Amino acid sequence: MKKIISITLSFVLLSALAFGQAKKPTIMVVPSDNWCITNGFFLEFDNQGTKVKIPDYKRAFQENSDLNLVISSLNDMMSERGFPLKNMESAIKTLEAEAAENNMLTSKSGAGVSESPVDALKRVAKADIIMQLTWTVNTTGPKKSITFNLQGLDSYTDKQIAGAQGTGAPSFSAEIAVLLQEAVTTHIDNFNSKLQLHFEDMFANGREIIIRIKKFDSWSEDLESEFDGKELSAIIEDWMAANTVKGRFSTTDATENMMLFEQVRIPMFDDSGKAIDARGFAKNLQKFLKEPPYSITNKLMMKGLGQAVIVLGEK
Amino acid sequence: MIQKMISKISLITVGMLLIGSQAFAQQKKADKATESWRYEIECVGIGQPGTKLIKVWSYSKSPKIAITQAKKNAVHGLIFKGYAGGAQGCSAQRPLTNDPSLEQQKADFFDPFFAEGGKYMKFVSVSGDGTPEPMKVGKEYKVGVVVSVMTDLLRKDLEEAGIIKGLSSGF
Repeated sequence: MKKIISITLSFVLLSALAFGQAKKPTIMVVPSDNWCITNGFFLEFDNQGTKVKIPDYKRAFQENSDLNLVISSLNDMMSERGFPLKNMESAIKTLEAEAAENNMLTSKSGAGVSESPVDALKRVAKADIIMQLTWTVNTTGPKKSITFNLQGLDSYTDKQIAGAQGTGAPSFSAEIAVLLQEAVTTHIDNFNSKLQLHFEDMFANGREIIIRIKKFDSWSEDLESEFDGKELSAIIEDWMAANTVKGRFSTTDATENMMLFEQVRIPMFDDSGKAIDARGFAKNLQKFLKEPPYSITNKLMMKGLGQAVIVLGEK
Repeated sequence: MIQKMISKISLITVGMLLIGSQAFAQQKKADKATESWRYEIECVGIGQPGTKLIKVWSYSKSPKIAITQAKKNAVHGLIFKGYAGGAQGCSAQRPLTNDPSLEQQKADFFDPFFAEGGKYMKFVSVSGDGTPEPMKVGKEYKVGVVVSVMTDLLRKDLEEAGIIKGLSSGF
């Protein structure tokens, strides 16, 4: 009997712990396009007559030891704050290994792993928050100093949620690596302090996400179709107002074919206390549209914790 | 003979009590100055990772008290005040808490923490980089002392005591 009680109690405690935690965003340090291009780590191609440069991250990690040093220092300091970072170099390697495995993987009957063009497009190193890193070495006569810029960018809303920047003291003798470590030490606390403010705002006013509504061209109706005398777009807006935190969202774009909702503040937990993200929130909208009187078949896609797309008309 | 000795002893005792009460009053005044933010902090350089190297300017009629108060002011300042840059290479630093009323809300924690010989001593040490700089300002002294504060340890301690939130709290 005692055993049953203790097992039940521990189960209740475990589930309370699991439900009590919000979904933790992943953070990754990425060298900025500016840094990559300035230091020669880029690939150049001709895009219909326009020369386009894109960062070559793999080569940057392989050839620049200062970059590895800065990322490793940042990783160390963030781990110490209980927020270990995703390592971009490892993420790139994992993706390559996975792609190679997918190419080789076949079933006994000879079937391969299915991958749509969208799946292939999504197969990139990503995180919910990007710590974008730029530094420049300033030289004045024999003196050297470092201008350091660390930006925390939300991958979904494209907003800068934290930042720290400044120029270090010029030095005659210190090596660049030492100056870089000094810069990280100087700026990381301020960066984290701003990141903390962002998280506090998130817990108080909800997670900010983006929701897109699209339609397949095979669907005979559109967002201007009426249900009980009300346009579908207005019905969706009413649902958003009722389900967001304090009714906070902006309808940035709306046509008969698409709607874009930005600054959508969703609760961190649903009614049952379970942690939710953009997908969890959009699933409720998907269910709402699937049910009568609308009965609209739709497809839900997600991008990390903060972006969801619902395409109406088909699966 | 005995009477003379007794009067001498009582005189010495009264004198010691007077000195003691004066020192106590000065210490209390210095604590009040800390509570009312009457101190200045400037960054003097980049310390080791996890530490901050700062110069604290404290006020007291006794330069000795101003020097000891510098440690308390340094910890107080890094928790509640932050600082606005300083020497070249230093950048402005935000305080460890974003809540301006935290000191009043958590008085049960902070009163013993900042008491004489309180826990704040664990996180601060006078740096060997500079000797105290006393300046006479009116009737009192303004003394600048360079101290090193172990901010990472301080933050962790406050997080564990539930005084401030950690970066990953709630996740």
